[in-house]
Amino acid sequence: MKKYLLLLLLTGCSTVVPVTQKFPLAPEVLLEPCKPLKAAPDNATLSQLTKTVVENYTEYHQCTNIVNAWREWYTSQKQLFEELR
Amino acid sequence: MWILQFFPGWVFPAIFFAGIIVFLVTKTISFLPQAKLIQGFAVVLVFFGTYMTGAVSNNDAWKKRTQDLELQISELQVKSEKVNTKIVTKTLTKRETIRERGEDVIKYVDREIVKYDNTCVLPHEVVEAHNKAAK
Repeated sequence: MKKYLLLLLLTGCSTVVPVTQKFPLAPEVLLEPCKPLKAAPDNATLSQLTKTVVENYTEYHQCTNIVNAWREWYTSQKQLFEELR
Repeated sequence: MWILQFFPGWVFPAIFFAGIIVFLVTKTISFLPQAKLIQGFAVVLVFFGTYMTGAVSNNDAWKKRTQDLELQISELQVKSEKVNTKIVTKTLTKRETIRERGEDVIKYVDREIVKYDNTCVLPHEVVEAHNKAAK
């Protein structure tokens, strides 16, 4: 009798069906770190210094581009991720 | 419920109705031996059938919810991929634009600023200040 009672009680046990949502991985291009700024050569001429400044500005703009893309990526993905809840 | 995977959905309503039929039969046919015992068994069948029919219904509801969620997740994955592609394309395009602009300015420096190299000698401190700031 106890066995039948146990079997009856066990019918109430539920099985778990996992439905998990994973936060997406960021694209490789966004994971690239910003490069360090360049130093001008000692006794640099005006044009050499200007070139270094231009290169550093270019690098800054590249880095800004990546950071802004990161921000946009995160905001969009977070919005999508929260749509399910 | 784990037990539900072993039985088709119609079994439990059938048990319920079988219980009712057996109960009514024992009530109408008086000469049955062990009628009380069969009636008790019929009541158990009715309760078990009711309980399990509810469980099947509940299980189906959860299955449907799971399927809906899986569908939603796959749709969101597609949207997420689209967002990724859009952002990567935009970033790479802008990167190229920035690089080209930088190269244009370097060309300008090579063409125009070089002319002043001899007339405008930079003090060492200027380069040093720049390099300190760049570190």
